[in-house]
Amino acid sequence: MLQLPEIYAENIHRWLPELLYYSLTTLKIGFISFLLAVAFGVFFALCRTSRNRFLQGLAVGYIEIARGLPIVVLLYIVYFVPPQLFPDLNWQWFSDFTGAVLGLGLHGGAILAEVFRSGIEALHKGQREAAISLGMTPAKAMTYIILPQATRIVLPPVANYAIGLLKDTSLCTLIGVNEIMNGAKSIAFADYQPMAVFVLAAGIYFAMSYPLSLAVRYMERRLSIAR
Amino acid sequence: MNFFQILEARGWYFFTTLLSGWPATLVVAMGALLFALIFGLLIALMRISRWRLLRWPATAYVEFFRGTPALVQLFVIYFGFPDIGHQPSPFQAAIIGLGLNGAAYLSEIYRAGIESIHRGQMEAALSLGMTPARAMQYIVLPQAVRTMLPPMTNFAIVLLKDTSIVFAVGVLEVMALARQLVTETLTSAPIYLMAGAMYLCVTIPMARLAARLERQRQAWQ
Repeated sequence: MLQLPEIYAENIHRWLPELLYYSLTTLKIGFISFLLAVAFGVFFALCRTSRNRFLQGLAVGYIEIARGLPIVVLLYIVYFVPPQLFPDLNWQWFSDFTGAVLGLGLHGGAILAEVFRSGIEALHKGQREAAISLGMTPAKAMTYIILPQATRIVLPPVANYAIGLLKDTSLCTLIGVNEIMNGAKSIAFADYQPMAVFVLAAGIYFAMSYPLSLAVRYMERRLSIAR
Repeated sequence: MNFFQILEARGWYFFTTLLSGWPATLVVAMGALLFALIFGLLIALMRISRWRLLRWPATAYVEFFRGTPALVQLFVIYFGFPDIGHQPSPFQAAIIGLGLNGAAYLSEIYRAGIESIHRGQMEAALSLGMTPARAMQYIVLPQAVRTMLPPMTNFAIVLLKDTSIVFAVGVLEVMALARQLVTETLTSAPIYLMAGAMYLCVTIPMARLAARLERQRQAWQ
C-alpha cells in the first residue's frame, strides 16, 4: 500500500519549491492570455454587434472556429502551422510560450466575445437611444452609458472564464511549455513517485482555483442582489 | 514542396489515417459520457440529500474535480494507479478520467434541472403515496429533462473536445495519429489543419443543435 503521508514528509521540501517555481510560468501564461482574450473578445464582440455585414461575418467565423476547436488542436495549429506555411519569415522569436499564450488567447477571445455580446445586448436599446438623443456620439454612448452597465452583467462569466483558463494552461505542457504539469512530469518520473507528485500538482491547481471560485460566487451573490 | 503540393500528394493518406482515429475518439467520448451521466446523477442526488454524510463527500468531490485540470486527473489515474497496484489501460484511464471529471460538471446540471421543478410536484407525488425515489424517477426527473437537455448537449460538445487530450495517456485517437503522421512525414501544417477541420465538422453542428434545443425550451416555458 502506498504511504502518501510518509512520502510527502520525506520529499515535500524538494518537490514543492520546484513545482511552485513552475507555477510562476502557469500564472504568467494565464495572465497574458487573459489580457489577449479580453482584447480579442472586445474587438470581436463589437464586430459582431456592428451593422457592417463584413465585420459581422468575420466575427461569426472566428467565434465558431475558435470555440469549435479543442484547445489542444488550436494550440498545435497556432504553434506548429504558421512556421511551416511561411518558412521564409524569421520564427526565432516564436517560442512555445508565445504559441501557448496566442492559442489560449484566441480560444478565450471567442468565449469572451459571446459573453460581451450578451452583455451589450442585455441592455435595453433605449439606453443607447436616450444617450444619442441627448447629443452623445455613438462612441461616447458606448463608453459612458453602455459599457459601464454591461460590465456588471459580464463580470461573473468573465471571472468564471478566468478560472477555466487557469486550468486550461495545463494543456500547454503538450506543446512543451515548462509549466506545472511539465515540472510534475519530470519530477514524477525522475523520483518514481507519479501518484504522489501528480496529486501534489493537482493540489497546487486546486489551491489556485478554489479561492478564485469562492470569490466569484461571492461576487455573483453581491451583484445579483444589487440588480 | 509547398502546402498545396503536399496536400495534393499526401492529402488522401492524411485524411484516411486521421479518419481511422475517430472510432477511438468516439469510444472514449461515449464511454466517458455514459459514465458521467450515471455517476453525475448519483452525485447530484447526494448533494440535494437531507443527510450531511451524503452531502459533504459529494460537495467535496464536485469542488475537487472542478478545481483541477482534467489532464492532472488523467495523469493521476494513468501514471499514479500503478503505485497502488493497478495499471489501467489507456482506454480505461481515459474513460474513467474524463468520466469522473464530467460527472462533477453534469451533477451541477442535474441539480439545476431538479431544482427547476416546482417543489409542489414532489409534494404532490409523495402525498399520493409514492416513495421519494419513485417520485424522483417518475415525476421530477422526466420533467427536468427538458431543462437539462440543452446544457447536456453543450456538455457533450465539451467532452468530445476534451478527448483530444487523451493521447497524453496513450490512446490512439485523432490527435495521437496526427502527431504520428507529423513525425512520420515531417510536415505539420496540412495535418493539424485537417484534424482541426474534422473536429469542427462535428462540434459546429452539435453547437447548432444545442442552440436549437435551448430556443425550444425557452419557447415552451
